[in-house]
Amino acid sequence: MDNSFFAYIQELELIAFFSGFPLIYVVILFASGCFNLKQDFKDRLKQLLSFGYALVGTLYLGLIVRNLYPGYSLETIQNPYLTGWGILAVFFWIPALSKKTMISLMHSLVIFSLLVKNQLMQLISNSPDINMVRNNMKIYNISLILNLGTFSCLLLLTFVLNNFKKR
Amino acid sequence: MKTFNNKTLMIFLFIVSVTGYIASCTNENEAIPLAATTGPVITRGSNTHLPGNMTVGNSNEWKLDKAHSNVMWSTSYVGAAGLLTGRFNQFGMHEVIDAEMTTYSTAGQPVKDNSWEFNESDPTKTFINGYVQINTSNTGEPGRDAGCNISALGTTAIISGTQNLGITNLAKIKSTEVKLDPLSNDYIVTLSLTWKGTLGAPITKTLVGKLKYIKRATVGTTAAPYDVFGLQLKFQFNCRDFGITSTSISDKIDIECNMNFNNK
Repeated sequence: MDNSFFAYIQELELIAFFSGFPLIYVVILFASGCFNLKQDFKDRLKQLLSFGYALVGTLYLGLIVRNLYPGYSLETIQNPYLTGWGILAVFFWIPALSKKTMISLMHSLVIFSLLVKNQLMQLISNSPDINMVRNNMKIYNISLILNLGTFSCLLLLTFVLNNFKKR
Repeated sequence: MKTFNNKTLMIFLFIVSVTGYIASCTNENEAIPLAATTGPVITRGSNTHLPGNMTVGNSNEWKLDKAHSNVMWSTSYVGAAGLLTGRFNQFGMHEVIDAEMTTYSTAGQPVKDNSWEFNESDPTKTFINGYVQINTSNTGEPGRDAGCNISALGTTAIISGTQNLGITNLAKIKSTEVKLDPLSNDYIVTLSLTWKGTLGAPITKTLVGKLKYIKRATVGTTAAPYDVFGLQLKFQFNCRDFGITSTSISDKIDIECNMNFNNK
């Protein structure tokens, strides 16, 4: 077994964390457009999306840090650029950046394209491995749940905090 | 314009996601397994085995190899997990008629083991007879075998150097019909079991058993090969029918007869 396996695993980790965000993002924006919501609430939702994405990025960073051990070297990271790209999501905690929600979408679309690439490579290959296709979609499911979960948590937290402030 | 972009992106993401789900749900074409056979595979040969006069050296006449045969019985203990098992030390394959029901001063077989025939493909030509000497029941506990079993089974103790085929010590079976078993290579045997037990006179009960034929094979040394085959008969009877009472063992007794024959 060479390092390509570990590179693949690390790629799957990225997909698990970030690939579900684009769909969650567009669905929430579309839904908010369908209802007569106040503009500032829509803006708040957008920012929450970015914060939710930043939370996912933080969880991903936590995974990377959790794997640290004495003598850990950066060479252990098989996809340094992609891993670094994933960690960049932490910067969406910065309010100035979080207001530009399109950037978080662009950031996640890069990872989403990895999923699309993996699926296409399997489907157009001469001997497609249906188990890998299934596995990718399972990971995509997990990512959707994770991103929806982080967004929901932050939304709930916002409501709770607003209620406290009003009192 | 922004809404359009969002919609477009959403549609694109939906299409990509749904395509992925559909692709992952698609099953590969798998070879359909071959249809199972509708019944058991039964192959029967055309072997015929006859005892004839049991002439030594006549390879067409088959002899019971008593030393390598056995008649075993087993029954359950009441309220216990284990089985009580035993075997009969003296048995044979002869139809013991009334005139032959007596004692014989011999250590070998008291009567010829020649009351049987076996035809592998035509069960109507197959018949078996057999007997056991009840007092030779051997459970491995001399205190039981020569003690309480003697009275419990309504027989008399062993007299050394004597084969007792008397009416009180003889249980015998006789096949009345042999049929092919439609579910296996075996045969269904209807047989009658005659035994006195602790009753006043012997009674006969009709039972159904299963007969297995172990095919003929050549054994022995290269210089002096000979053929063997086996018959295994299993059946069950109710010992209460024969007056056997016990509070410690079950009423059902399983019998297994493993008879080996050779043509030496």
